[in-house]
Parts: sequence; C-alpha cells; structure tokens
Amino acid sequence: MTRLVASNVSKQYGAVRALTDGNIEIEGGRVTALLGANGSGKSTLGKIITGLVRPDSGELTLDGERVTIRSPKDARRLGITAVYQELSLVPHMSVAHNIWLGQEPMRRGGIDQKEMRERSGELLELFSASFSTRVTPTMRVSDLTPGERQIIEILKAMAWRPRILILDEATASLDGRQVERLFELVAQWREEGMGLAFVSHRMEEIARVADRAVVLRNGDTVGEVDVATTSEAQLVQMMTGGATAPHTTRQRAASGEKLLEVEGLSSGRVRDINLSVAPGELVGIGGLQGQGQASLLLALFGAEPYRGTIRIAGKRVNLSTPRRAMREGVAYVPGDRGAEGLLPVRSILENLQLPSWHRYGLLLRQGKAQADAMRAVDELNIKIGDIEDPVRTLSGGNAQKVVIGKWLLRKPRVLLLNDPTKGIDVGAKAEFYALLERLRDAGTAILFNSSDDEELLALCQKVIVLQDGQLRAVLEGEALTHENLVAASMGTAANGSAGRSADSGGRP
Amino acid sequence: MTAINRVRRVIVSPTVIALLLSVVLFLIGGVIQPDFLNAAQALNIVRLAAFLGIIAAGQTLVIISGGEGIDLSAGAVVTLGAILTFMIGAGQDSNIPLALAAVLGAGLLVGVVNGLGIIFLRIPPLVMTLGMTGVIQGTILAMTQGAIPGRTPPGLAGFINGRFLGLPGVIYLWLALGIIMWLLLERTPYGKQLFAVGVNRRTARLSGVNVPLVVIATYALSGMLAAFGGFVLLGFTQRVFLDLGGSYLFPSIAAVVVGGTVLAGGRGSYTGTMAGALVLTMVESLLRAMRLHEAYQMITFGVILVLLLSIYGRQRRNQ
Repeated sequence: MTRLVASNVSKQYGAVRALTDGNIEIEGGRVTALLGANGSGKSTLGKIITGLVRPDSGELTLDGERVTIRSPKDARRLGITAVYQELSLVPHMSVAHNIWLGQEPMRRGGIDQKEMRERSGELLELFSASFSTRVTPTMRVSDLTPGERQIIEILKAMAWRPRILILDEATASLDGRQVERLFELVAQWREEGMGLAFVSHRMEEIARVADRAVVLRNGDTVGEVDVATTSEAQLVQMMTGGATAPHTTRQRAASGEKLLEVEGLSSGRVRDINLSVAPGELVGIGGLQGQGQASLLLALFGAEPYRGTIRIAGKRVNLSTPRRAMREGVAYVPGDRGAEGLLPVRSILENLQLPSWHRYGLLLRQGKAQADAMRAVDELNIKIGDIEDPVRTLSGGNAQKVVIGKWLLRKPRVLLLNDPTKGIDVGAKAEFYALLERLRDAGTAILFNSSDDEELLALCQKVIVLQDGQLRAVLEGEALTHENLVAASMGTAANGSAGRSADSGGRP
Repeated sequence: MTAINRVRRVIVSPTVIALLLSVVLFLIGGVIQPDFLNAAQALNIVRLAAFLGIIAAGQTLVIISGGEGIDLSAGAVVTLGAILTFMIGAGQDSNIPLALAAVLGAGLLVGVVNGLGIIFLRIPPLVMTLGMTGVIQGTILAMTQGAIPGRTPPGLAGFINGRFLGLPGVIYLWLALGIIMWLLLERTPYGKQLFAVGVNRRTARLSGVNVPLVVIATYALSGMLAAFGGFVLLGFTQRVFLDLGGSYLFPSIAAVVVGGTVLAGGRGSYTGTMAGALVLTMVESLLRAMRLHEAYQMITFGVILVLLLSIYGRQRRNQ
C-alpha cells in the first residue's frame, strides 16, 4: 500500500511561523482529513505535500523512501496530485484540453484529438449523472457552471492516475448531488487503494467521508484520531486546545438604536445575511477564511452589487458605488494594502487625502490639506520622514495606519475592516487595537472581519460566523468562546451549545 | 532632513535630468558645428519645442491615467484642429473666436468618444485611439474632398510668430499652459484623482474616486488640448495638409516619457514633458546642424526615438 509520511516539517514566512511541527500520514485505502482553525498551518502542510511550498525542515517519505518535492510537477511524477478550490483551468479552452493539459495523448508528432476526446468522455462519465445538462469534451470551460468546473478540476487530477489525491475544499462549489457523487467515487477510489487527504470547512462532510483526522493547532500537529469514534465536540476541542473561559468584554450599555441594519443581503459570495450594529459596538466576523466575509464587507461598501436592504441610522440607503457609501459615512479598510488600500508610489499626503480632496476647494488649499493630514499622522503615531515621501517607504504597520488614517479624516459612522492586521507586527497590532477601542467608545459602529480568532475573541462583544456564504451563528456573552467559534465555522456545535444559531435564533 | 530631502527630490527629478540633457546636446551641437552655439539658435529651438510641448500636454494626462493609456489619435486631432481653424478662420481675425470654439468642441467630441469606448466598451486605448485616427482622417477627406479652402487668420499668425519683449508669442502661450497644467495636476481634485487612477484603479474606486468619469474627462481633455495644438500650429505653418499633425504623434509620446512620466501610469508631470519636448527638438536641430541628408535625418531621429522610449520605458516601472 502507498504511504506518504510528512514528519516534523516546518515553514516560516518572514517573521511569521506558519508551521512549526507538522506531521501527517496518508495511507492507501484510507481517507485522512486535515483539520485546523485559521492560522493552524493546515494549508501550509497541504502545500508542502504537493510541492507548492518547500519546507524549511523536516522530511517526507513515500513508501519508506525519503523524497524531495520541489514542485507540483515533482509531486505528480511521484503520483501525488491535488485539487484546489482556486481553479487552475484555462477558461477559453475545451474540457478535454483542460483535463489533459500537460500530458496530451500524442500521435505522429501531434495531439491525438480523438483519443483525448474519448478518454475525456470516459472521465466525464464518472459524474454524468450529477450534471444538470450534458457536459461534453468539446465544450469550453468558460461555458460551465462553477460546480462543473470544479468537477473538471477533479477529473484533471484523476487523469494523472494519482496514488495519492488531496482534495482541498474541493466540495465548496459543488451542489448536493455532485457532492454525493464525489463521495461515492471517493469511497470507490479508497477501495481501489488510493490514499486520500481531505480538507473541508464542513464538519459534516469530514464525519461522513474521512477515516482518520489529523488535527493542527498553532502550527503543530496535535493529534491523529479515528473519526468514527471521536465526537465532533472532541475534534473542536483538539482544534482549540481545550476549554477556554467564556470571554468577558468591556461592554458598553447597549442602546436600543442601531446604526447599521442589514436585511436579507445577498451578493457575490453571501446569501441572505441579517445583521445589525449599534453605535459604539464592535462586531466581529469570523469563520474560516474565504467563506464570504470579504464579499459581505464589499457589498456594504457599495463595491459589489447586492440585493437586500441596508439602513444607516434608520434611513434606507442604496449603496451602488463606494462613493455613495462614503457619503453615508461608511469607510472600508482592506487587509490587502497593495491591491486595495494604497498607492505605493504616491505620497503619504495624497494617500491620506484621496477620499477627501473635494473638501479643499476646486483649487486645493494645499496647506490646510497638509495640516489635516499631519494631524492624522500624529494621532495614529505614524512614523514618517516627510509627508511628501512615497508610501512604499513605510513599514507594513505604518502603511496600514495610512489606510486607516485616510478614513479617520472623514470621521466615519460605520467602519468596515477586512482582516486589517494581516502581516503587521505585534507592536503595530496593539496600537491598532487601542485605536479600534477608542473609535468604538466614540460611537462608531464597527464591523471587523479577521482571520485571527484570538483577535476576534479579544476585541469583539459579538461575533457572527460565516460558512459557505451564510450566517451560521451569532456568538456573544457566555457563548463567545474559541470552541464555539471554531465549531460554528465548521458547521457543528461544540458541546451542543453554539450560542444562538442563526437558523433558530432569528435576527441577531 | 526634510528640506534636504526635498532639494534632493528636485535635483534627481526627471525634469531636471531632461533639462540638463538638452543643455548637453546643445553644447555637443556647438562642438560639431560652432555656429550652432548662439542665442538666436537656442531661442529658435525653444520656439519649435513649444509646438511639440503644447501638442504633448494631453498625451501627458492620458499616459498618467494608466490602464495602458495612450492617445494615438492626437496626431489626427492636431490636423483636424488646424484644418478647422484654416477653414472657419478664412483669413478673418474676427472669425478666430468661432474657429477656436469649433476646434475645442471637435477635440472634446473626439476625446469623449475615445473615453466612452475605452471605459464602457472596454476597448484597449491603443486600439480605440488608433481606430479614431482613421475615422478622423476619413472625415477630413469627406469634408474637404482633398482641396481645403480657407486661409490662416493673420492675427493668429501674428501672435504665434510675433515677438513680444524679444520672445515669440508661442513661448508665452506655452509657459501659460505650463502653469495651468501644473495647477491642474498638482492643485485640483481632478489631478490628485488622476494620479490615483493611474496607479491602481481598484484602490482609487475603493477610496471613492469616480474612475470612469476621471478617465473619460482625461481623454476629453487630451482631445481638446491636441485640437488646440493644431490651432496654434496653424499660426506657425500657415498652411494645412492631411499629414500635418501625424509627424508630431511619436515625438509627443517620446517627450512625455523622456520627461519622466511612467508609461504604466500614476507618475509624471507636465514640466517633465516640457523638458522632454526640449530634448527632442534639440536632437532634431542637432541632426539638421550635422547637415545629413534629410532621409538620414529622419532615419536617425526614428532610431533615437526608439532608443529613448526603450530606455525610459524599461526604467521605473510602477511598484
């Protein structure tokens, strides 16, 4: 039987230790689930096995022999392939060409189109019952639904005839019937001796399909258990490291009024979200990464089309562009500074004032703009040389302060934060938390998405948890514990008490 | 510290480098041809540079706006502006205001259509403005049937070429445009938003900038400035032909880039473009002073343009 073992692997990115002591064993004829909360290192461990990331230390053995996997190509040669959620398909190419990309059947110096189509047809046959319309080898991938594309991705991995297959969130965009079919096939492949690793944010799927579960926490493998004999609550406990005391927050007397009210909001990645934030309230958004958190915040900032009702201070608003949202007093602080937050080559002054220039007249009163910007620099304690220096000369923490500063200058009523502390140092984080508390106490309504669970627990009075674009739970008071947070993000209940569930508890 | 930083920023700025380059070229001209080196020659070069500089003003804005922004229709619009002035002006000074209004209106129309196509139909700027060139040339042909009736208003020619306090009128015009362009880029909300759009459109949008409006306004301004360039150029040439503006297109792009405006967008200045126009005009004059055959002058100038563009295009990419 095939056996891939990773032992004591570690990986450091800059100052961040993503994985300290990762261990996993994937054996033929078994499905091994990889479990862990945000930042536990499970995706790093998965990427090391498939050659996407090279470990700093540790060793990999395949069937008892030590192997080095430098790239996904190396991994494929050893019989290891992976299916990821982020699709690697070429949209304008046909299904057959995508499936056989890089290993096209050849005949007389050219691609054997007929052979390729036939073999694609055979692979498609595996899922044929789960397609709502017929998918043929000659169809273009861009004409397929997301679920169908995900299946093509799986078939593409299968075309390499792997001995070890890693399914990383491969079910996320599949519909119920397609998931069922995939699980039937997984069972069949397991019987045939294939070794499977399975990563999912749905506990229910793990319970159904996995034999063993490897649990990671804070970069370490903390245990491997038999799924059939372990309760979901026990798994959650392993992921969080045991009981944590209920979280206590410095709660402001909650006034009845609500500043931000959202009803039945659906956008790109989220469905039917209801939530409300009072002035002076800091509400967290939790869950595993990529469950629609960014989509929700972008919709609330008018940067993504949405359906549903948004009220600000009781008034129904139509946030069709970020400009409109901005005029209603909404601000959005992105975590991805390079892509969404900053103009690296422009000056600190221009970055700070970008949303506000129109306030300084048609012929700008530069002196006043500069004085106002300097006040933000002082208030946020941003370490700069000259306000005319380009922002790219600043460190990560100071650059992130500039992103926040440009909104503070507008004194927002509603502040949306999308994982703002990613990649900034501890000192800057502490300053940032203090700032958030100051803003909250001044009456700002804050909605705070974070991939760092500790941060959510430390700062928020209330945390809403998203899974698959839906609001799974609202945790507050006694119920706001790490266990409940992790349990809710996996769609299960820790010790049977995941706070108020969104399905039964009505509107938060 | 701060003051030193600012001084250093000015000294190493592309504008200053380009100005120094044009002085060096002028001195080299003196070595090759001793009678090249005199005040009248210098003034003449600045005068010629003014036409290129005025024509390159709109191009500067478009290139700053990023998104592979370039206005290849500028040459045809220059021709259009000159022809409209020639036809409507019809040798009468009293027609100048009407001619100017028509010129600016036509430039505006062309620019707005360019902007709409680029933003709403998502046509790449290169393709959109190149296609527009064909449309304008066809329109001019249809409008004139090849024979262009009219005459340059004497007042226009008098102002552009005449001397005031020892300097040709066009130089005053160029300096005034320089001040306006500096104010536009550095001291208006539009200018600040234009740079933001040029660096990163997503960031600009998420900071409340109306990106489509800024881009369309930029192409509209570019059309108007190019048409105005044609109006001014007619005062100099006093005759029109179908390829009048075409020969300015490539040098206008080169002047922008030599002046330190980054082809990727988001960084640049019009003072840089002004210095760039000086450099290119200096190169042309130098080639003329070397008394090469005209064909070889053209070939050499073309090669130098390609060299300059490839050197500057490769340098200082964004981010």
